[in-house]
Amino acid sequence: MLVLPDADLDMAADAAISAAYGSAGERCMAVSVVLAVDSIADDLVNKIKSKVPNIKVGAGSDPASEMGPLISREHRDKVAGYVTGAAKEGAKVVLDGTDKAKDEGFFLNPSLIDHVKPGMKCYDEEIFGPVLTVMRVKSYDEGLKAINDNQFGNGTAIFTRDGGVARQFQYDVNVGMVGINVPIPVPVSYYSFGGWKASLFGDQHMYGPEGINFYTRGKVVTSRWPDPRTSTVDLGFPHSR
Amino acid sequence: MNRISHWVNNKVVAGTSGKSGKVFNPATGKQESEVDLANIADVDAAVASAKAAFPAWRATNLSRRAEIMFRMRELVDANRKEIANLLTLEHGKVPSDALGEVARGLENIEFACGVPAMLKGGYSEQASTGVDVYSIRQPLGVVTGITPFNFPAMVPMWMFANAIMCGNTFILKPSEKDPSASMFVADLLRQAGLPDGVYNVVHGDKVAVDRLLDHPDIAAVSFVGSTPIAKYVYETGTKNGKRV
Repeated sequence: MLVLPDADLDMAADAAISAAYGSAGERCMAVSVVLAVDSIADDLVNKIKSKVPNIKVGAGSDPASEMGPLISREHRDKVAGYVTGAAKEGAKVVLDGTDKAKDEGFFLNPSLIDHVKPGMKCYDEEIFGPVLTVMRVKSYDEGLKAINDNQFGNGTAIFTRDGGVARQFQYDVNVGMVGINVPIPVPVSYYSFGGWKASLFGDQHMYGPEGINFYTRGKVVTSRWPDPRTSTVDLGFPHSR
Repeated sequence: MNRISHWVNNKVVAGTSGKSGKVFNPATGKQESEVDLANIADVDAAVASAKAAFPAWRATNLSRRAEIMFRMRELVDANRKEIANLLTLEHGKVPSDALGEVARGLENIEFACGVPAMLKGGYSEQASTGVDVYSIRQPLGVVTGITPFNFPAMVPMWMFANAIMCGNTFILKPSEKDPSASMFVADLLRQAGLPDGVYNVVHGDKVAVDRLLDHPDIAAVSFVGSTPIAKYVYETGTKNGKRV
């Protein structure tokens, strides 16, 4: 998720939080990295940092809960490992949610990690948990390059008020599903769902028109109702001229 | 302990492997169910039922298929909360999130109700003198979907709704971590009037996946999950001549 200086930062912060921590980050379209252009990065991180503690983490049986547990004990511990490892790799852990791992259920609180870079595990690997990372970039071009250099290309989003830049982004970016001020651009059912690069194997995307292509195969019938008067033997290759 | 078994020919069928997996409530950390894990014979039985159901299902006219899918749409709509509750219990997602998942899955069932419009072919009259050329789309046969733990209701709906509306019969191998939603949905399909064997569920681990990937009667494999497993499923399935 690339946030440009002209974006509405409150809206971008809300979107990042919703998309990073919803379903405890266990969505393949979750926002895992915010690319913040330098001039607004501190502001954006502060806004996210101030809002995250309001998220109510708890069991789904409690109607007040906004974020539930992770799927298993093993997965929770693996996700927690990324947060603890990030500090050792030189990133700044702004919010550490790993304390919650002491609970009976498989919970973590939301974590926020700033100043991540390619080469760190928390950037290079898919964490699949309630961990939002922030990488700072100098410009649109540097942000775009980071997205296009990534081995994955499932979903991405740009936050800006500039329609021209947003259009340039949809043109330039090597990702299968793109959001413009929309953080989780899962297509509606009459389009098809699919990533690019290491996020998709095969050539057809899921559901929608490509799903119909996938689940059927074409047959072409060439048909003539013969008129005995025109019937001849012709060993040449059939053609229509 | 609650036991979750396979779904074959519109019935719950116990596994024969003697192997089972644990299903937890992630919010309490406690095991709630035991799920049968299929062996090769269990998978083969499901494939055999899907294969047997295919000729009649393929011949079922498009209006009748759509009628069943419209009825399924009503059943899922009426049971949103029940499905969402199963997601909360086994996956852990909170109710608002679980209801959102069901809504996005329902959207795919609604799309599938209109599949007849998408199966129209093309027609060229007089391509040569007295010769017409036209294209039609036909189902593949028995197809399978292997789905992840994170969307136990929605991702199967991405797959089975279109697959069966196109005239295929279907075998779902859902995540063994949260398998109950797929069983609930299977029973809704039965209530909607889907004939026996058109939609089947086998639970399992790598044994079941590998059998689905090399079973000669399976024509296509859909998979959603992590990149390393996706690569494995793609390479193994295509090597075995399947569409993946």
